[in-house]
Amino acid sequence: MIRVTNIVKVHGTNRILDGATLAIPKGEVAALIGPSGGGKSTLLRCINGLEEFQEGEVSISDKLKLTGGVSTSKNDLLQLRRTVGMVFQQFNLFPHMTVLKNVMMGPLYALGKPLAEAESMAKKLLDRVGLGNKLDAKPAQLSGGQQQRVAIARALAVNPAAILFDEPTSALDPRMSAEVMRVIDDLAGDEQFQAAMVIVTHDLASVRRIADTVHVLEQGRVVYSGSAGEAFAQGGPAAALD
Amino acid sequence: MNPRWLLVAFLAGIAAPATAQEKKPELRWGTDPTGGAPYVYQDSAGKFIGFEVELASYLAEKIGRIPVMKKGEWSKLPDLLDKSADADEAIDVVLNGYELSESLAKSKAVTIPYYAYRLVLITQQDNAAITTWNDLTVMNPRKKTVGVLTGSVAQAYTQNRFGASIDLASDDDVAKVIGLVRDKRFDATVQDNPAAIYFLKEMPTLKVAGAPRQIGFYVMYLRKSDQELAEALNNAVREGLKDGTLRKIYKKYGLWNDDQEWLCYTQTGTWPSSDDEEVEGVDTGTKVNPWPRMLKELLQAAGMTVLLSVTSFPLAMLIGLMVALGRVYSPRWVSIPLGVYVEVIRGTPLLLQLYTIFYLVPKLGLGIDFTPLEAGIIGLAINYSAYEAENYRAGLLAIPRGQMEAALALGLKPITAIRMVIVPQAVRIVIPPVTNDFIALFKDTSVCSVILITELTRKYNELYNFNRDYIVELAFVTAALYLIMSYPMALLARVLERRMGTTGGGIAR
Repeated sequence: MIRVTNIVKVHGTNRILDGATLAIPKGEVAALIGPSGGGKSTLLRCINGLEEFQEGEVSISDKLKLTGGVSTSKNDLLQLRRTVGMVFQQFNLFPHMTVLKNVMMGPLYALGKPLAEAESMAKKLLDRVGLGNKLDAKPAQLSGGQQQRVAIARALAVNPAAILFDEPTSALDPRMSAEVMRVIDDLAGDEQFQAAMVIVTHDLASVRRIADTVHVLEQGRVVYSGSAGEAFAQGGPAAALD
Repeated sequence: MNPRWLLVAFLAGIAAPATAQEKKPELRWGTDPTGGAPYVYQDSAGKFIGFEVELASYLAEKIGRIPVMKKGEWSKLPDLLDKSADADEAIDVVLNGYELSESLAKSKAVTIPYYAYRLVLITQQDNAAITTWNDLTVMNPRKKTVGVLTGSVAQAYTQNRFGASIDLASDDDVAKVIGLVRDKRFDATVQDNPAAIYFLKEMPTLKVAGAPRQIGFYVMYLRKSDQELAEALNNAVREGLKDGTLRKIYKKYGLWNDDQEWLCYTQTGTWPSSDDEEVEGVDTGTKVNPWPRMLKELLQAAGMTVLLSVTSFPLAMLIGLMVALGRVYSPRWVSIPLGVYVEVIRGTPLLLQLYTIFYLVPKLGLGIDFTPLEAGIIGLAINYSAYEAENYRAGLLAIPRGQMEAALALGLKPITAIRMVIVPQAVRIVIPPVTNDFIALFKDTSVCSVILITELTRKYNELYNFNRDYIVELAFVTAALYLIMSYPMALLARVLERRMGTTGGGIAR
């Protein structure tokens, strides 16, 4: 369960987040949509502690908390990040490592798993995203879509309770976007996969297909939270953006 | 008798004289052989000869010691007296044409003079513009350039008397200065008469202009606490003057003259006995092909160059990386002092840093006294660490922010993220500039000659002083050795660049 309560993030004189509040239960796929510059990516970065914020609170599974204006202990921050996976718009794979090593990094160094176990976990996940045959490739040898699928496998490898996708397809052409969305679709439809998922995207067709709930963020505030069906119904906020 | 006992007795017989010999203390006398003839120089077989070599042997024998020649940079020889007495490079006495100087005598024990010299003005035979000392005051049609030995009385005298009307150039190497006069690059040089006598014989195109001037004295310097040794050396000098031993040595090199007779009288109270014995000239050894010896010595010196490079550069890289990480990832109270470190080290000459580490640090009284090799390695490592720190800092800053964020988002500790994700990428980026610096350091090892390390350039200097017929060939061989050693580094760097994917903007395959 991700709970965000009244987050305020100020940068200079600019209030990037201005009291944003939302809750995403375990197993739910939530889409975060809204105009560019509305604070969607910043909100994701606040949820996994990449950005500090001045007011409000983020809590994960009611155990791990980040409080605005209060410095979080290094240990708590590590625990939180190990619980919340993140997939970036620009993939951010480690270019000097093979695909397999990229995915093994989390299990090995964040979870402290033995090498053999980390390798076996990584191989399974790479199989799942359709890249079991690219273990020894370096990121530069892969297409953009393949790289993003590796990034998803890497985020999943720490077995997160929540996973955040920050515009995962916006750097890709339509064909590659489809590849990546198929993987996310697959995760969303997997009954076994119980992590809460938050996707920031402008791809409303995909949102309509996979999201359980939709949250609209404008000028740093969540101006709408509701089911995907309602959001896309005539007169709904997503329909207006579509 | 049991054969075992025979063996023991035999070994004891061998060991006994050796032990007796070992007990004889050394007289470590400091000299700079690059200063050259007739003080200390090499014959064609590579053996050190010169009137001071023979004087040192005589003095050591007289006081019951074994003479051990220790090489150093001429102007820094007195500093070697400050090294702790058991250090490898320490000396007991400076014996190398050092003039009596009031300021030096304040901090060191000083002996009576062993030679009285005069200053000689040397110019080219065909130089009609300089026939007397007073010609140095003539500035028409231009100021004359006069070369002298750095830090010598000749330099002080020439500066005081003619400084306003001449361009004074100084160098640590007498032979080089006189060579420049012969080649008409300098108009004249002022030298002590021993050097003048030797080089006038070697270079017949030179002449003496005017009469020798300004009598001065060569003395020996010792540690202030070594008064007893100084007194023993004084007695040995007096005896040598009195019994004609010094006359014999000086005559061999053409250096005995009226001034020495007078010196004998002032120091011993007696005039030297009448001198009618013939003394043979200097035996400069049978003429042998010097190349095998010179090549061997150059290769040994090249080995020192390699040793200095391969030990100091990894240290420089390590320190540089730590400094760069501190500057990029630490709070201001760490990053600011590190920035100051970089600027101070980068903004001061390597030469000065080496002097500080080798000559000044032992004087701080902290009990730290580096050997020349240690000081060389530390000096080079510290100097180059500042440049490497900037290379690595540039590399670290070139890594996209997303890399760190991705690593942190995985739950890696910041230190693990830096170690596993950031540094390996930064290191790849900086391979070309770091390789460049390694090659530069390779050549900068030559500066270490100032702290008594005989590396390739110093060896070249030594060799060309004594083998002036081969100056061009020696320069070529030395340059070739540098190239042979540094080119493989460049090739290795290219291989690394290819392997690690830093060429063509690509990522390794």
